[in-house]
Amino acid sequence: MEEFFQQLTNGLAVGGIYALIALGYTMVYGVLKLINFAHGDLFTYGAYLGLTLLTSLALTDRLGFALGVLVLVLMVMGLVAVLGAILERAAYRPLRESPRLSAVVSALGASIFLQNTLMLIYGARFQVYPDDILPAATLHVFGLYLPLMRVLIVLASVLIMIALYLFIQKTKIGTAIRAAAIDQGAARLMGIDVNRVILLVFLLGPALGGVAGLMVGLYYGQINFTMGWVYGMKAFTAAILGGIGNIPGAMVGGLLLGVIEALGAAYISIAWKDAIAFLVLILILIVRPTGLLGERVADKV
Amino acid sequence: MKKQILTLVAAVGLALGGGVVQAADPVKIGLMAPLTGSWASEGQGMKKIVELLAEQQNAKGGVLGRKIEVVTEDDGGDPRTASLAAQRLTTKGVVAVIGTYGSSVTEASQTIYDEAGIPQIANGSTAIRLTEKGFKHFFRTAPRDDEQGRMAAQTIEKLGFKKIAILHDSTSYAKGLADEANALLKKQGAEVVFFDALTPGERDYTAILTKLKGANPDVVLFTGYYPEAGLLLRQKRSMGWPVPFIGGDATNNPDLVKSAGKEAAEGFYFLSPPQPQDLDTPEAKAFLADYQKKYHEAPASIWVVLAGDGFRVAAAGIAGAKSVDGDKVAEYLHKNLKGYSGLSGPISFDAKGDREGEVYRVYKVDAEGNFVMQKL
Repeated sequence: MEEFFQQLTNGLAVGGIYALIALGYTMVYGVLKLINFAHGDLFTYGAYLGLTLLTSLALTDRLGFALGVLVLVLMVMGLVAVLGAILERAAYRPLRESPRLSAVVSALGASIFLQNTLMLIYGARFQVYPDDILPAATLHVFGLYLPLMRVLIVLASVLIMIALYLFIQKTKIGTAIRAAAIDQGAARLMGIDVNRVILLVFLLGPALGGVAGLMVGLYYGQINFTMGWVYGMKAFTAAILGGIGNIPGAMVGGLLLGVIEALGAAYISIAWKDAIAFLVLILILIVRPTGLLGERVADKV
Repeated sequence: MKKQILTLVAAVGLALGGGVVQAADPVKIGLMAPLTGSWASEGQGMKKIVELLAEQQNAKGGVLGRKIEVVTEDDGGDPRTASLAAQRLTTKGVVAVIGTYGSSVTEASQTIYDEAGIPQIANGSTAIRLTEKGFKHFFRTAPRDDEQGRMAAQTIEKLGFKKIAILHDSTSYAKGLADEANALLKKQGAEVVFFDALTPGERDYTAILTKLKGANPDVVLFTGYYPEAGLLLRQKRSMGWPVPFIGGDATNNPDLVKSAGKEAAEGFYFLSPPQPQDLDTPEAKAFLADYQKKYHEAPASIWVVLAGDGFRVAAAGIAGAKSVDGDKVAEYLHKNLKGYSGLSGPISFDAKGDREGEVYRVYKVDAEGNFVMQKL
């Protein structure tokens, strides 16, 4: 039983990261009906920018651990958000009126471009976050081993998700985003600047993806330029699982996917854990084609 | 043809001059090495070590009373270039060939040397299939990939572990090693409590580690590569689980320590052919000192030293067979060369041309993150 709960916490920790990344996919899809395949690479940029800022500015030495990491988070969020906005401007806006397939191809191209740029800058070998920055304490509660950083990461991702949810549901700008997601034409008629909404979505999504990348770097230490692909695919799956275009759906989907993977690995087979996760996805989509929380029938891509 | 005529003319000329024809004619030994390309540092090392050894051997009078001449050809680390290099060497009248590094590169040249009846002694090619083709003239000073599985099983037994967990990453190399070790461990009567694969390229392996911990092994044998090994060690530490890990030679990389952190990497065992600086015979020490003196560096890797051993074995074969005939040299190497004292330890060849005896050593990571060779 202890092992079951240990695996549950393992799954939630991985799922929290998936959920953060999935939010970026789902928000862009909600507004533009576009799968932003370069989103996984923005996540990787978060990890690399975090490493560069951390080591070159020595933030945690100057400001202490808590404040240093907080400043780092904000800086990474800001930089990756700007990168997301540039991506939208360069790769997606010129194709706004083109057939949807062109935008998908452009997204794949952007992904390859971003990945290779990173490789050229940092080299093909993996990079490592310094391991003496974070407290390595492990909490031992009810027979479970919970590394302190892991708990903090799950808490932080849940907090960020709640903040985003409130922002989308309760504020005027959030309402504008939701309106643009339902019907861009009608939103425009109501005086909403849809281009600005799209820009905002491309600031928010990448910012969250960048933070996820930073968390992965801080906790796991080892980052490489291709890691966005695996995380991106998993997060994309999580977004579909929860119902793509639906923000709470991405959160639920991400956490659920992490837990399914961990329990599948624990009780069926480690080597088959991805296959198990995708089997569950297929089963859920057979029963609920729009995903767990999806309401609208998914448009074709 | 032109060359033969020239030789003839030279021979006649020397004979007329009353000179000693036989003694002046050197014994040619070929070296095929990746002097350019991505393995160039290995290839340059191979050239340096073979040239130094030839120099030393010649200072001692060469072989069969004749000087040794090393003929070097570049294989570029590429199978196509290698087949051309091999053809050139066969026309230059070499008695034996040393090299080369990559398995696929060696493979491209094997038939050419075999048909020409020239013994080939590869130094870095570990793929099993190379010696499974029945070539009479092929040898290698490098260990075979399945040798490592035997060493893993033996090391685990020597360290006294009874319950073993085996984890691989589904690549053909890692799975092959895991299967080999698994079969041998079961034969030894050890209990394999866990056998499964992780997916390389992921960050989070805590689900796997939690499951491993549930199986309660004395030791975990991980046969994959160093990036995953680094992550596993780091996450194992944060779980507060002190079980020892043993890795295969794909974990032999300083980046492992960087990734895991020194505290988590400490105590990690891995199998690998010895690092050049850990070669402990007096002969090897003396030679490495000479190498350092001449080139102001240590050999780039153990594979370079194994090329040196290839040269020494070839010279010993020629001396032993008292002949420069390739067939006779090959026969001598197969049958009569037993326990020859090489730089990397005793060398004998079996009927397939594989090296007999142990090449792999056990290393352990110390508190400073250094790889320290263990005596078991």
